[in-house]
Amino acid sequence: MDPLASPAAPDAKSLPSDHRRARWRAWLLLTPMVLWLVAFVVVPTAILLVYSFCERDELGRVVFSFTWENYQRVLDPVYLRIFGRSIGYAALTTVICVVVGFPVAYCIGRASEAWRQRLLLLVMVPFWTSFLIRTYAWITILKEEGLLNGALSALSIVHAPLDLLYTPSAVVIGLVYAYLPFMILPIYGSVEKIDGALIEAAHDLGAGPLRVFTSVIIPLTLPGIAAGTLLVFVPAIGMFAVTDLLGGAQVPLIGNVIQNQFMQARDWPFGAALGMVFMLLFAVSYGLILRFRREETA
Amino acid sequence: MKSYLRLLAALAALAFAVSARAAEELNLFGWSEYIPQPVIDGFTKETGIKVNFETYSSNEELLSKLVAGGGSYDIVQPSDYTAEVMIRQKLLAPLDLSKLPHLKNLDPEFTHCGHDPEGKYTVPYMSGTVGIVVNTERVKTPIKGYRDVFDPKFKGRIVVLNDNREIVSWALDTLNLPVNTITAANLAKARPLVADWVKLVKVFDSDSPKTALLNGDCDLGIVWSGEAAILWNQSKKFQYVIPAEGAHRFIDVLAIPAEAKNKDAAHKFIDYILRPEVSVLISDAFPYTNPNAEARKHLSAEALANPASYPKGGGKIETFRDIGKAAADIDRLVTDLKSAR
Repeated sequence: MDPLASPAAPDAKSLPSDHRRARWRAWLLLTPMVLWLVAFVVVPTAILLVYSFCERDELGRVVFSFTWENYQRVLDPVYLRIFGRSIGYAALTTVICVVVGFPVAYCIGRASEAWRQRLLLLVMVPFWTSFLIRTYAWITILKEEGLLNGALSALSIVHAPLDLLYTPSAVVIGLVYAYLPFMILPIYGSVEKIDGALIEAAHDLGAGPLRVFTSVIIPLTLPGIAAGTLLVFVPAIGMFAVTDLLGGAQVPLIGNVIQNQFMQARDWPFGAALGMVFMLLFAVSYGLILRFRREETA
Repeated sequence: MKSYLRLLAALAALAFAVSARAAEELNLFGWSEYIPQPVIDGFTKETGIKVNFETYSSNEELLSKLVAGGGSYDIVQPSDYTAEVMIRQKLLAPLDLSKLPHLKNLDPEFTHCGHDPEGKYTVPYMSGTVGIVVNTERVKTPIKGYRDVFDPKFKGRIVVLNDNREIVSWALDTLNLPVNTITAANLAKARPLVADWVKLVKVFDSDSPKTALLNGDCDLGIVWSGEAAILWNQSKKFQYVIPAEGAHRFIDVLAIPAEAKNKDAAHKFIDYILRPEVSVLISDAFPYTNPNAEARKHLSAEALANPASYPKGGGKIETFRDIGKAAADIDRLVTDLKSAR
């Protein structure tokens, strides 16, 4: 997409200078965004790229001397395994978010106007509280003498308390909880736009509910699902707070390892190298998704 | 337009006011959960110096920010071995001892230690140990040392500090190897022990390890003595044990960065902390071992009887010394073993 292409085709009467002014105005409108991106994305990434080829001194200061060592260390099986595990957790989180989030988004999208606003508000309400505080609330729910175990044993569903907190399940619960709204909102956006007439037409042509769902609803909401998947999967890989608080920091994920390099281990060059590889993985997978989608539509 | 100008003028006045007051500010960079707010408020009330308090949760974080962020801090609060590196790297300013008349209140046991033998750069703030907490209602067998804690029968019931150097040093102590001279051979010897241990641990938490014990999710812990002291204050079922194989004592100090802008106020703050009546407030809030002998006289009998704050007996107790680049080897070892579980 060329950001400079003026949205409306210039009509025959407009002079070239007008056109040029429009382009100039487009750049002017984009300036804040471009500056923001340069200052907070391009420059930090460039710094990380430089750091990732440097060494560290005793205090953890970055020493500017060229080395491949950090990248060699990223390929160490220890870190590859952690990468793999992080992708696994993020994938599971994404799948659960789709399965749980889709029906919610669909119901909100097909609800009446007044209800739609109220339900959307409910999805947003958690954002009014700090994410960390909400995660601490999960500790209160999941701990051995916590709310969930209390309720289950009061109802005589379980006799010995379930082991929930500080387990991989707790990590997945925390991740799904954190990212579910980011799945619901884009899917809702797609569902809302579905023309009800298409569904009726499918019914009229003899399609059963399942057929309507798989052949009409799913394809029409695919852009929302794809956007939600990106919004959930990408940040879920790098998340470290949930693993520490709900997982008891037992098993490190890649986010924990990177954070640890910048804090405890004071090995910024290695942390930077991990970050660069991580970003490269995203860029490649995003490129693949884009290509796949272009082939779909073509 | 007029109101816009007025706004600008107000902003300019504000900026001027801020810069005029800059001389009366103290930038304090300390551990989270370690300096009680009433102490800071009391200092401001008495001297009129505004304290900007920023916190960190590990020595490494302090070093990262100090090295990256330059001289914006007037007081820092490193642990002994971190202060040692900072002194060697000339990151700390020598103290003007004539400005610290209350220095005489300190117990000589805590001054002139290995990290600052001449006592020129640091003033002890609080001290403590890393030891074992046992919930005696749940654990009936006697627990004396690390080997008793890391018993397979306690799998999934243990909380330990999320601190790689601590964990490795417990293994080194258990094998009777030195904790302050790290060699590849010794790390290789410690490796199988650490590998077994991390599999038994349920929670790694340095910030608030007491939470897992209080919540009943864990029955045993290896934690900071201050955390253990708070547990003992809540319930006497939480007993504190200095590990028989050897324990780590830490002395957290106050020091002034070499590039501090307001060294005068920093000295005032340090001397204020050294007053017995102020130091007692710190002990009340965070019951570590108070190195201030005069302050200890003001403590209640109950506070002095707390076995975690003032342990009696126990095995060998050592402070950590700086181990330089070996820290990276330790970090890698523990990351490797944790991710293998």
